[in-house]
Amino acid sequence: MKSLTIDHLQKTYFDPFADKQVTAIRDISLSVAAGDFVSVVGPSGCGKTTLLNLIAGFLAPTAGEIRVDGRAVNGPGPDRGVVFQSFALFPWRTVLDNVAFGPKMRGVAKARRHEIAREYLALAGLGHAAERYPNELSGGMQQRVGVVRALANEPDVLLMDEPFASVDAQTRMTLQEELTRIWAQRRSTVLFITHDVNEAVFLANRVIVLSHGAVLDDIAIDLPRPRAWDALIEDAGFKALSARVLQQVRAA
Amino acid sequence: MSAAAVSPGLRLWGAYVRWSARQPVLASLVPFVPVLVLWAAVVQSGIFPRVFLPGPIEVVEKFGTLMANGILPAYLEDSVVRLAAGTAVGLAIGIPLGLLVGLSDRAYRVLWPVLLFFQAIGDIAWLPILLIWFGFGLTTMIFVIVYTVLFPVVLNTVLGVRSVPLELHRAALSLGASRARVLWEVVLPGALPNIMTGLRNGLGFGWRALIAAEIIVGTSGIGFLMFDARRAGSVVEILLGMAVLGVLWYVVDSWVLAPIERATGQRWGLVTR
Repeated sequence: MKSLTIDHLQKTYFDPFADKQVTAIRDISLSVAAGDFVSVVGPSGCGKTTLLNLIAGFLAPTAGEIRVDGRAVNGPGPDRGVVFQSFALFPWRTVLDNVAFGPKMRGVAKARRHEIAREYLALAGLGHAAERYPNELSGGMQQRVGVVRALANEPDVLLMDEPFASVDAQTRMTLQEELTRIWAQRRSTVLFITHDVNEAVFLANRVIVLSHGAVLDDIAIDLPRPRAWDALIEDAGFKALSARVLQQVRAA
Repeated sequence: MSAAAVSPGLRLWGAYVRWSARQPVLASLVPFVPVLVLWAAVVQSGIFPRVFLPGPIEVVEKFGTLMANGILPAYLEDSVVRLAAGTAVGLAIGIPLGLLVGLSDRAYRVLWPVLLFFQAIGDIAWLPILLIWFGFGLTTMIFVIVYTVLFPVVLNTVLGVRSVPLELHRAALSLGASRARVLWEVVLPGALPNIMTGLRNGLGFGWRALIAAEIIVGTSGIGFLMFDARRAGSVVEILLGMAVLGVLWYVVDSWVLAPIERATGQRWGLVTR
Protein backbone atom coordinates (compact mmCIF):
# COMPACT_ATOMS: atom_id res chain seq x y z
CA MET A 1 0.00 0.00 0.00
CA LYS A 2 1.68 3.05 -1.38
CA SER A 3 0.76 6.54 -2.47
CA LEU A 4 0.08 7.74 -6.01
CA THR A 5 1.09 11.20 -7.22
CA ILE A 6 0.16 12.75 -10.55
CA ASP A 7 1.92 15.97 -11.50
CA HIS A 8 0.70 18.22 -14.33
CA LEU A 9 -0.20 15.28 -16.52
CA GLN A 10 -0.98 15.94 -20.19
CA LYS A 11 -1.90 13.60 -23.02
CA THR A 12 -2.52 14.60 -26.60
CA TYR A 13 -2.56 12.31 -29.57
CA PHE A 14 -2.71 12.76 -33.31
CA ASP A 15 -5.95 11.81 -35.02
CA PRO A 16 -5.02 11.06 -38.67
CA PHE A 17 -8.65 11.15 -39.79
CA ALA A 18 -9.39 14.54 -38.23
CA ASP A 19 -5.81 15.55 -39.16
CA LYS A 20 -5.20 17.33 -35.85
CA GLN A 21 -3.96 16.87 -32.30
CA VAL A 22 -6.67 15.81 -29.86
CA THR A 23 -6.34 16.61 -26.17
CA ALA A 24 -7.40 13.74 -23.90
CA ILE A 25 -5.82 15.00 -20.67
CA ARG A 26 -5.39 18.79 -20.51
CA ASP A 27 -3.74 19.17 -17.12
CA ILE A 28 -4.28 16.89 -14.14
CA SER A 29 -2.51 17.02 -10.82
CA LEU A 30 -3.73 14.62 -8.20
CA SER A 31 -2.45 12.91 -5.12
CA VAL A 32 -3.86 9.71 -3.65
CA ALA A 33 -2.74 8.87 -0.11
CA ALA A 34 -1.57 5.38 0.72
CA GLY A 35 -4.52 3.16 1.55
CA ASP A 36 -7.10 5.61 0.22
CA PHE A 37 -10.02 4.70 -2.03
CA VAL A 38 -10.62 7.30 -4.75
CA SER A 39 -13.31 7.18 -7.43
CA VAL A 40 -13.00 9.10 -10.69
CA VAL A 41 -16.25 9.98 -12.46
CA GLY A 42 -17.09 12.01 -15.50
CA PRO A 43 -19.04 11.86 -18.74
CA SER A 44 -17.84 9.88 -21.76
CA GLY A 45 -14.80 11.47 -23.31
CA CYS A 46 -13.73 13.30 -20.14
CA GLY A 47 -10.43 11.42 -20.15
CA LYS A 48 -11.00 9.06 -17.24
CA THR A 49 -10.01 5.89 -19.08
CA THR A 50 -7.02 7.66 -20.65
CA LEU A 51 -5.99 8.70 -17.13
CA LEU A 52 -6.10 5.07 -15.98
CA ASN A 53 -4.17 3.87 -19.04
CA LEU A 54 -1.49 6.49 -18.34
CA ILE A 55 -1.19 5.45 -14.68
CA ALA A 56 -1.09 1.78 -15.68
CA GLY A 57 1.68 2.64 -18.14
CA PHE A 58 -0.25 1.38 -21.18
CA LEU A 59 0.11 4.88 -22.67
CA ALA A 60 2.98 7.34 -22.35
CA PRO A 61 2.14 10.89 -21.21
CA THR A 62 2.81 13.87 -23.48
CA ALA A 63 3.95 15.88 -20.46
CA GLY A 64 3.93 15.56 -16.70
CA GLU A 65 4.79 12.73 -14.38
CA ILE A 66 3.16 9.88 -12.47
CA ARG A 67 4.84 8.49 -9.36
CA VAL A 68 3.96 5.46 -7.28
CA ASP A 69 5.60 5.52 -3.86
CA GLY A 70 7.96 8.17 -5.21
CA ARG A 71 9.10 6.13 -8.23
CA ALA A 72 8.31 7.49 -11.69
CA VAL A 73 6.02 5.32 -13.83
CA ASN A 74 7.55 4.16 -17.09
CA GLY A 75 5.46 1.45 -18.75
CA PRO A 76 3.26 -1.24 -17.20
CA GLY A 77 4.45 -3.01 -14.07
CA PRO A 78 3.30 -5.25 -11.24
CA ASP A 79 3.31 -2.34 -8.75
CA ARG A 80 0.04 -1.22 -10.39
CA GLY A 81 -2.60 -3.94 -10.60
CA VAL A 82 -5.36 -3.40 -13.15
CA VAL A 83 -8.95 -4.69 -13.17
CA PHE A 84 -10.51 -4.39 -16.61
CA GLN A 85 -14.10 -3.81 -17.66
CA SER A 86 -13.78 -6.79 -20.00
CA PHE A 87 -12.35 -8.93 -17.12
CA ALA A 88 -9.36 -9.87 -19.34
CA LEU A 89 -8.99 -13.31 -17.78
CA PHE A 90 -6.78 -15.75 -19.67
CA PRO A 91 -9.30 -18.21 -21.20
CA TRP A 92 -6.65 -20.97 -21.44
CA ARG A 93 -5.88 -20.91 -17.73
CA THR A 94 -8.01 -22.20 -14.90
CA VAL A 95 -9.24 -19.74 -12.31
CA LEU A 96 -6.45 -20.89 -9.99
CA ASP A 97 -3.76 -20.35 -12.62
CA ASN A 98 -5.22 -16.97 -13.58
CA VAL A 99 -4.88 -15.82 -9.99
CA ALA A 100 -1.42 -17.41 -9.69
CA PHE A 101 -0.23 -15.66 -12.87
CA GLY A 102 1.32 -12.62 -11.16
CA PRO A 103 3.28 -14.69 -8.61
CA LYS A 104 4.35 -16.98 -11.47
CA MET A 105 5.84 -14.01 -13.31
CA ARG A 106 7.74 -13.14 -10.14
CA GLY A 107 9.20 -16.66 -10.15
CA VAL A 108 7.24 -18.02 -7.18
CA ALA A 109 7.34 -21.84 -7.17
CA LYS A 110 4.20 -23.67 -8.27
CA ALA A 111 3.12 -25.07 -4.91
CA ARG A 112 3.59 -21.72 -3.18
CA ARG A 113 1.83 -19.67 -5.86
CA HIS A 114 -1.13 -22.06 -5.86
CA GLU A 115 -1.26 -21.67 -2.10
CA ILE A 116 -1.32 -17.87 -2.48
CA ALA A 117 -4.00 -18.11 -5.17
CA ARG A 118 -6.18 -20.34 -3.00
CA GLU A 119 -5.92 -17.91 -0.08
CA TYR A 120 -7.05 -15.01 -2.25
CA LEU A 121 -9.82 -17.04 -3.90
CA ALA A 122 -11.12 -17.95 -0.45
CA LEU A 123 -11.15 -14.24 0.39
CA ALA A 124 -13.72 -13.68 -2.38
CA GLY A 125 -15.61 -16.92 -1.71
CA LEU A 126 -14.33 -18.47 -4.93
CA GLY A 127 -12.56 -21.53 -3.52
CA HIS A 128 -14.97 -23.92 -5.24
CA ALA A 129 -14.26 -22.46 -8.70
CA ALA A 130 -10.47 -22.87 -8.62
CA GLU A 131 -10.27 -25.65 -11.20
CA ARG A 132 -12.83 -24.20 -13.63
CA TYR A 133 -12.07 -22.27 -16.79
CA PRO A 134 -13.23 -18.63 -17.04
CA ASN A 135 -15.77 -19.36 -19.79
CA GLU A 136 -17.55 -21.71 -17.39
CA LEU A 137 -18.26 -18.85 -14.96
CA SER A 138 -20.91 -16.11 -14.91
CA GLY A 139 -19.86 -12.51 -15.59
CA GLY A 140 -20.02 -11.62 -11.91
CA MET A 141 -17.84 -14.60 -10.97
CA GLN A 142 -15.37 -13.77 -13.73
CA GLN A 143 -14.94 -10.24 -12.43
CA ARG A 144 -14.46 -11.51 -8.88
CA VAL A 145 -11.59 -13.54 -10.32
CA GLY A 146 -10.34 -10.42 -12.12
CA VAL A 147 -10.22 -8.49 -8.83
CA VAL A 148 -8.64 -11.38 -6.94
CA ARG A 149 -6.02 -11.88 -9.65
CA ALA A 150 -4.95 -8.24 -9.34
CA LEU A 151 -4.92 -8.39 -5.51
CA ALA A 152 -2.95 -11.66 -5.36
CA ASN A 153 -0.04 -9.88 -7.00
CA GLU A 154 -0.02 -7.45 -4.04
CA PRO A 155 0.22 -4.25 -6.07
CA ASP A 156 1.00 -0.88 -4.48
CA VAL A 157 -1.97 0.63 -6.26
CA LEU A 158 -5.10 -1.06 -7.61
CA LEU A 159 -6.50 0.53 -10.78
CA MET A 160 -10.07 -0.40 -11.66
CA ASP A 161 -11.51 0.58 -15.05
CA GLU A 162 -15.33 0.46 -14.84
CA PRO A 163 -14.97 -3.11 -13.57
CA PHE A 164 -18.64 -3.68 -12.76
CA ALA A 165 -20.16 -1.98 -15.81
CA SER A 166 -20.84 -5.20 -17.67
CA VAL A 167 -22.49 -7.27 -14.93
CA ASP A 168 -26.18 -7.19 -14.05
CA ALA A 169 -27.49 -4.66 -11.53
CA GLN A 170 -28.01 -7.05 -8.59
CA THR A 171 -24.62 -8.68 -9.00
CA ARG A 172 -23.05 -5.24 -9.29
CA MET A 173 -24.36 -4.23 -5.85
CA THR A 174 -23.02 -7.45 -4.34
CA LEU A 175 -19.64 -6.92 -5.97
CA GLN A 176 -19.49 -3.34 -4.71
CA GLU A 177 -20.17 -4.48 -1.15
CA GLU A 178 -17.59 -7.25 -1.43
CA LEU A 179 -15.04 -4.78 -2.75
CA THR A 180 -15.54 -2.44 0.22
CA ARG A 181 -15.20 -5.42 2.55
CA ILE A 182 -11.99 -6.64 0.91
CA TRP A 183 -10.60 -3.11 0.79
CA ALA A 184 -11.35 -2.65 4.50
CA GLN A 185 -9.35 -5.82 5.21
CA ARG A 186 -6.39 -5.09 2.97
CA ARG A 187 -6.36 -1.30 2.83
CA SER A 188 -5.01 -1.18 -0.70
CA THR A 189 -4.66 2.14 -2.50
CA VAL A 190 -7.46 2.11 -5.05
CA LEU A 191 -8.27 4.33 -8.03
CA PHE A 192 -11.71 3.38 -9.32
CA ILE A 193 -12.93 4.69 -12.68
CA THR A 194 -16.68 4.71 -13.26
CA HIS A 195 -19.45 6.68 -14.90
CA ASP A 196 -21.92 5.54 -12.25
CA VAL A 197 -22.28 8.31 -9.66
CA ASN A 198 -23.90 6.12 -6.99
CA GLU A 199 -21.16 3.54 -7.37
CA ALA A 200 -18.47 6.22 -7.05
CA VAL A 201 -19.97 7.60 -3.84
CA PHE A 202 -20.77 4.19 -2.33
CA LEU A 203 -17.21 2.89 -2.69
CA ALA A 204 -14.89 5.81 -2.16
CA ASN A 205 -13.41 8.13 0.43
CA ARG A 206 -13.01 10.75 -2.28
CA VAL A 207 -14.71 11.33 -5.62
CA ILE A 208 -12.86 13.20 -8.37
CA VAL A 209 -15.03 14.66 -11.12
CA LEU A 210 -13.24 15.00 -14.46
CA SER A 211 -14.31 17.28 -17.26
CA HIS A 212 -12.56 17.79 -20.59
CA GLY A 213 -9.31 16.31 -19.35
CA ALA A 214 -9.09 18.29 -16.12
CA VAL A 215 -10.25 17.96 -12.51
CA LEU A 216 -13.56 19.80 -12.06
CA ASP A 217 -14.20 18.89 -8.44
CA ASP A 218 -12.79 16.82 -5.59
CA ILE A 219 -15.43 15.74 -3.10
CA ALA A 220 -14.74 14.03 0.24
CA ILE A 221 -17.10 11.13 1.05
CA ASP A 222 -17.31 10.92 4.83
CA LEU A 223 -19.95 8.18 5.02
CA PRO A 224 -19.33 5.62 7.79
CA ARG A 225 -18.03 2.13 6.99
CA PRO A 226 -18.81 -0.70 6.59
CA ARG A 227 -21.21 0.36 3.86
CA ALA A 228 -24.18 -1.68 2.68
CA TRP A 229 -26.73 -0.80 0.03
CA ASP A 230 -29.70 -1.74 2.22
CA ALA A 231 -28.77 1.00 4.67
CA LEU A 232 -27.28 3.61 2.34
CA ILE A 233 -29.95 3.59 -0.35
CA GLU A 234 -32.27 5.60 1.94
CA ASP A 235 -29.50 7.45 3.80
CA ALA A 236 -29.83 11.23 3.66
CA GLY A 237 -26.05 11.79 3.69
CA PHE A 238 -25.54 9.35 0.80
CA LYS A 239 -28.34 10.94 -1.21
CA ALA A 240 -26.95 14.44 -0.67
CA LEU A 241 -23.45 13.44 -1.74
CA SER A 242 -24.73 11.54 -4.78
CA ALA A 243 -26.84 14.51 -5.78
CA ARG A 244 -23.86 16.82 -5.48
CA VAL A 245 -21.60 14.56 -7.55
CA LEU A 246 -24.33 14.06 -10.13
CA GLN A 247 -24.78 17.81 -10.43
CA GLN A 248 -21.09 18.25 -11.11
CA VAL A 249 -20.98 15.39 -13.64
CA ARG A 250 -23.92 16.88 -15.51
CA ALA A 251 -22.28 20.30 -15.44
CA ALA A 252 -19.04 18.75 -16.74
CA MET B 1 -54.21 -39.04 -21.54
CA SER B 2 -50.80 -40.57 -20.93
CA ALA B 3 -47.62 -39.20 -22.51
CA ALA B 4 -47.62 -39.59 -26.29
CA ALA B 5 -46.22 -42.94 -27.37
CA VAL B 6 -42.73 -42.81 -28.83
CA SER B 7 -42.80 -44.13 -32.38
CA PRO B 8 -40.75 -47.31 -33.03
CA GLY B 9 -38.53 -45.42 -35.50
CA LEU B 10 -37.65 -42.78 -32.93
CA ARG B 11 -37.02 -45.50 -30.36
CA LEU B 12 -34.62 -47.23 -32.75
CA TRP B 13 -32.83 -43.92 -33.39
CA GLY B 14 -32.55 -43.38 -29.64
CA ALA B 15 -30.98 -46.81 -29.23
CA TYR B 16 -28.52 -46.01 -32.02
CA VAL B 17 -27.56 -42.66 -30.45
CA ARG B 18 -26.94 -44.35 -27.07
CA TRP B 19 -24.91 -47.15 -28.69
CA SER B 20 -22.80 -44.70 -30.73
CA ALA B 21 -22.05 -42.69 -27.60
CA ARG B 22 -20.68 -45.87 -25.99
CA GLN B 23 -18.85 -47.08 -29.12
CA PRO B 24 -17.66 -43.94 -30.94
CA VAL B 25 -15.03 -45.77 -33.01
CA LEU B 26 -17.42 -48.46 -34.25
CA ALA B 27 -20.16 -45.88 -34.74
CA SER B 28 -17.92 -43.78 -36.97
CA LEU B 29 -17.75 -46.75 -39.37
CA VAL B 30 -21.52 -47.11 -39.67
CA PRO B 31 -22.04 -44.27 -42.21
CA PHE B 32 -19.71 -46.12 -44.60
CA VAL B 33 -21.94 -49.20 -44.69
CA PRO B 34 -24.44 -47.69 -47.18
CA VAL B 35 -21.53 -46.43 -49.33
CA LEU B 36 -20.06 -49.94 -49.52
CA VAL B 37 -23.45 -51.52 -50.14
CA LEU B 38 -24.18 -49.09 -52.96
CA TRP B 39 -20.76 -49.72 -54.48
CA ALA B 40 -21.19 -53.49 -54.30
CA ALA B 41 -24.69 -53.22 -55.77
CA VAL B 42 -23.49 -51.15 -58.73
CA VAL B 43 -20.68 -53.64 -59.37
CA GLN B 44 -23.08 -56.58 -59.01
CA SER B 45 -25.59 -55.08 -61.45
CA GLY B 46 -22.99 -55.44 -64.20
CA ILE B 47 -23.50 -51.95 -65.67
CA PHE B 48 -19.72 -51.55 -65.87
CA PRO B 49 -17.23 -54.26 -66.86
CA ARG B 50 -15.42 -55.67 -63.80
CA VAL B 51 -12.02 -54.48 -65.07
CA PHE B 52 -13.24 -50.89 -64.98
CA LEU B 53 -15.04 -51.10 -61.66
CA PRO B 54 -14.00 -53.88 -59.27
CA GLY B 55 -16.04 -54.43 -56.12
CA PRO B 56 -15.14 -53.89 -52.47
CA ILE B 57 -14.22 -57.56 -51.96
CA GLU B 58 -11.55 -57.41 -54.68
CA VAL B 59 -10.13 -54.20 -53.20
CA VAL B 60 -9.95 -55.82 -49.75
CA GLU B 61 -8.23 -58.85 -51.26
CA LYS B 62 -5.75 -56.58 -53.02
CA PHE B 63 -5.18 -54.82 -49.69
CA GLY B 64 -4.35 -58.20 -48.17
CA THR B 65 -1.91 -59.07 -50.95
CA LEU B 66 -0.09 -55.73 -50.88
CA MET B 67 0.12 -55.81 -47.07
CA ALA B 68 1.50 -59.35 -47.17
CA ASN B 69 4.20 -58.61 -49.74
CA GLY B 70 5.18 -55.41 -47.88
CA ILE B 71 4.57 -52.96 -50.73
CA LEU B 72 1.67 -51.11 -49.14
CA PRO B 73 3.29 -50.69 -45.68
CA ALA B 74 6.50 -49.41 -47.31
CA TYR B 75 4.67 -46.96 -49.60
CA LEU B 76 2.41 -45.85 -46.78
CA GLU B 77 5.42 -45.18 -44.59
CA ASP B 78 7.13 -43.19 -47.36
CA SER B 79 4.08 -40.99 -47.89
CA VAL B 80 3.40 -40.43 -44.19
CA VAL B 81 7.06 -39.65 -43.41
CA ARG B 82 7.19 -37.13 -46.27
CA LEU B 83 4.00 -35.49 -45.06
CA ALA B 84 5.17 -35.43 -41.44
CA ALA B 85 8.59 -34.02 -42.31
CA GLY B 86 7.13 -31.39 -44.63
CA THR B 87 4.49 -30.41 -42.06
CA ALA B 88 7.06 -30.14 -39.26
CA VAL B 89 9.24 -27.82 -41.34
CA GLY B 90 6.17 -25.87 -42.47
CA LEU B 91 5.10 -25.33 -38.85
CA ALA B 92 8.63 -24.48 -37.74
CA ILE B 93 8.80 -21.68 -40.32
CA GLY B 94 5.12 -20.76 -40.40
CA ILE B 95 4.36 -20.18 -36.72
CA PRO B 96 7.31 -17.81 -36.00
CA LEU B 97 6.68 -15.98 -39.27
CA GLY B 98 3.00 -15.67 -38.43
CA LEU B 99 3.82 -14.35 -34.95
CA LEU B 100 6.17 -11.74 -36.43
CA VAL B 101 3.69 -10.57 -39.05
CA GLY B 102 0.82 -10.66 -36.56
CA LEU B 103 2.63 -8.67 -33.87
CA SER B 104 4.61 -6.13 -35.88
CA ASP B 105 2.78 -3.54 -37.95
CA ARG B 106 5.90 -2.97 -40.01
CA ALA B 107 6.40 -6.65 -40.77
CA TYR B 108 2.71 -6.84 -41.62
CA ARG B 109 2.94 -3.95 -44.09
CA VAL B 110 6.05 -5.35 -45.74
CA LEU B 111 5.33 -9.08 -45.76
CA TRP B 112 1.56 -9.48 -46.02
CA PRO B 113 1.27 -8.56 -49.76
CA VAL B 114 4.25 -10.80 -50.54
CA LEU B 115 2.68 -13.68 -48.62
CA LEU B 116 -0.59 -13.28 -50.51
CA PHE B 117 1.32 -13.20 -53.81
CA PHE B 118 3.20 -16.42 -53.14
CA GLN B 119 0.16 -18.09 -51.65
CA ALA B 120 -1.52 -17.67 -55.02
CA ILE B 121 1.21 -19.65 -56.80
CA GLY B 122 -0.22 -23.03 -55.94
CA ASP B 123 1.92 -25.95 -54.85
CA ILE B 124 1.77 -27.79 -58.15
CA ALA B 125 2.66 -24.64 -60.08
CA TRP B 126 6.10 -24.87 -58.49
CA LEU B 127 6.75 -28.39 -59.80
CA PRO B 128 8.17 -27.45 -63.22
CA ILE B 129 10.85 -25.20 -61.79
CA LEU B 130 11.52 -27.48 -58.82
CA LEU B 131 12.13 -30.38 -61.19
CA ILE B 132 14.74 -28.30 -62.97
CA TRP B 133 16.35 -27.20 -59.70
CA PHE B 134 16.18 -30.35 -57.59
CA GLY B 135 15.30 -33.13 -60.04
CA PHE B 136 12.97 -36.05 -59.41
CA GLY B 137 13.46 -36.71 -55.74
CA LEU B 138 12.71 -36.18 -52.10
CA THR B 139 13.82 -32.51 -52.06
CA THR B 140 11.23 -31.58 -54.65
CA MET B 141 8.46 -33.41 -52.82
CA ILE B 142 9.35 -31.97 -49.41
CA PHE B 143 9.57 -28.47 -50.90
CA VAL B 144 6.07 -28.80 -52.30
CA ILE B 145 4.66 -30.00 -48.97
CA VAL B 146 6.44 -27.33 -46.93
CA TYR B 147 5.24 -24.69 -49.34
CA THR B 148 1.68 -25.97 -49.19
CA VAL B 149 1.58 -26.26 -45.40
CA LEU B 150 3.36 -22.95 -44.82
CA PHE B 151 0.77 -20.52 -46.15
CA PRO B 152 -2.36 -21.69 -44.34
CA VAL B 153 -0.28 -21.82 -41.14
CA VAL B 154 1.18 -18.32 -41.58
CA LEU B 155 -2.06 -16.66 -42.63
CA ASN B 156 -4.08 -18.28 -39.84
CA THR B 157 -1.40 -17.57 -37.23
CA VAL B 158 -1.50 -13.90 -38.22
CA LEU B 159 -5.28 -13.89 -37.83
CA GLY B 160 -4.97 -15.65 -34.48
CA VAL B 161 -2.34 -13.24 -33.15
CA ARG B 162 -4.43 -10.26 -34.21
CA SER B 163 -7.54 -11.71 -32.60
CA VAL B 164 -6.01 -11.72 -29.09
CA PRO B 165 -7.66 -8.80 -27.27
CA LEU B 166 -5.38 -5.90 -26.34
CA GLU B 167 -6.60 -6.20 -22.73
CA LEU B 168 -5.00 -9.64 -22.41
CA HIS B 169 -1.59 -8.21 -23.38
CA ARG B 170 -2.12 -5.38 -20.92
CA ALA B 171 -3.31 -7.68 -18.14
CA ALA B 172 -0.20 -9.85 -18.49
CA LEU B 173 2.14 -6.83 -18.60
CA SER B 174 0.58 -5.27 -15.51
CA LEU B 175 0.89 -8.61 -13.70
CA GLY B 176 4.63 -8.40 -14.27
CA ALA B 177 5.12 -10.37 -17.50
CA SER B 178 8.00 -9.41 -19.78
CA ARG B 179 7.38 -8.99 -23.51
CA ALA B 180 8.84 -12.45 -24.13
CA ARG B 181 6.57 -13.99 -21.49
CA VAL B 182 3.56 -12.26 -23.06
CA LEU B 183 4.45 -13.98 -26.33
CA TRP B 184 4.54 -17.38 -24.66
CA GLU B 185 1.74 -16.93 -22.12
CA VAL B 186 -0.75 -14.83 -24.10
CA VAL B 187 -0.07 -14.60 -27.83
CA LEU B 188 0.65 -18.26 -28.54
CA PRO B 189 -2.24 -19.78 -26.60
CA GLY B 190 -4.56 -17.04 -27.88
CA ALA B 191 -3.58 -17.80 -31.46
CA LEU B 192 -3.63 -21.58 -30.97
CA PRO B 193 -7.18 -22.22 -32.23
CA ASN B 194 -6.33 -20.37 -35.45
CA ILE B 195 -2.96 -22.12 -35.71
CA MET B 196 -4.86 -25.42 -35.46
CA THR B 197 -7.15 -24.30 -38.28
CA GLY B 198 -4.07 -23.46 -40.32
CA LEU B 199 -2.55 -26.84 -39.54
CA ARG B 200 -5.76 -28.62 -40.48
CA ASN B 201 -5.97 -26.78 -43.82
CA GLY B 202 -2.23 -27.14 -44.38
CA LEU B 203 -2.30 -30.88 -43.75
CA GLY B 204 -5.30 -31.30 -46.04
CA PHE B 205 -3.68 -29.34 -48.86
CA GLY B 206 -0.28 -30.91 -48.14
CA TRP B 207 -1.71 -34.40 -48.40
CA ARG B 208 -3.24 -33.62 -51.80
CA ALA B 209 -0.02 -31.94 -52.95
CA LEU B 210 2.01 -34.94 -51.84
CA ILE B 211 -0.13 -37.34 -53.86
CA ALA B 212 0.18 -35.08 -56.90
CA ALA B 213 3.94 -34.79 -56.40
CA GLU B 214 4.29 -38.55 -56.02
CA ILE B 215 2.32 -39.07 -59.20
CA ILE B 216 4.68 -36.77 -61.09
CA VAL B 217 8.06 -37.27 -59.44
CA GLY B 218 7.60 -40.28 -57.18
CA THR B 219 9.34 -43.61 -57.09
CA SER B 220 7.30 -44.76 -54.09
CA GLY B 221 4.32 -43.69 -52.00
CA ILE B 222 0.56 -43.92 -52.31
CA GLY B 223 0.39 -41.48 -55.22
CA PHE B 224 3.04 -43.51 -57.05
CA LEU B 225 1.16 -46.72 -56.29
CA MET B 226 -1.97 -45.33 -57.95
CA PHE B 227 -0.19 -43.92 -60.97
CA ASP B 228 1.88 -47.05 -61.42
CA ALA B 229 -1.32 -49.10 -61.27
CA ARG B 230 -2.74 -46.99 -64.10
CA ARG B 231 0.21 -48.04 -66.27
CA ALA B 232 -0.53 -51.68 -65.45
CA GLY B 233 -4.25 -51.09 -65.95
CA SER B 234 -5.04 -52.27 -62.42
CA VAL B 235 -8.18 -50.41 -61.38
CA VAL B 236 -8.24 -52.43 -58.14
CA GLU B 237 -5.00 -50.84 -56.98
CA ILE B 238 -6.19 -47.35 -57.94
CA LEU B 239 -9.36 -47.82 -55.91
CA LEU B 240 -7.31 -49.20 -53.05
CA GLY B 241 -5.08 -46.12 -53.17
CA MET B 242 -8.13 -43.85 -53.07
CA ALA B 243 -9.55 -45.75 -50.11
CA VAL B 244 -6.23 -45.53 -48.28
CA LEU B 245 -6.13 -41.74 -48.80
CA GLY B 246 -9.59 -41.33 -47.32
CA VAL B 247 -8.98 -43.62 -44.37
CA LEU B 248 -5.64 -42.04 -43.54
CA TRP B 249 -7.10 -38.54 -43.51
CA TYR B 250 -9.96 -39.71 -41.32
CA VAL B 251 -7.49 -41.22 -38.86
CA VAL B 252 -5.31 -38.08 -38.73
CA ASP B 253 -8.36 -35.92 -38.19
CA SER B 254 -10.10 -37.98 -35.54
CA TRP B 255 -7.05 -39.27 -33.66
CA VAL B 256 -4.78 -36.23 -33.80
CA LEU B 257 -6.44 -32.95 -34.81
CA ALA B 258 -9.86 -33.25 -33.22
CA PRO B 259 -8.55 -34.31 -29.76
CA ILE B 260 -6.12 -31.36 -29.72
CA GLU B 261 -8.94 -28.99 -30.62
CA ARG B 262 -11.19 -30.45 -27.94
CA ALA B 263 -8.46 -30.02 -25.33
CA THR B 264 -7.65 -26.41 -26.26
CA GLY B 265 -9.90 -23.93 -28.06
CA GLN B 266 -13.15 -25.76 -27.31
CA ARG B 267 -12.26 -26.28 -23.67
CA TRP B 268 -11.36 -22.62 -23.28
CA GLY B 269 -14.55 -21.43 -24.94
CA LEU B 270 -12.62 -19.71 -27.75
CA VAL B 271 -14.24 -21.95 -30.37
CA THR B 272 -17.89 -22.84 -30.25
CA ARG B 273 -18.59 -26.49 -30.79
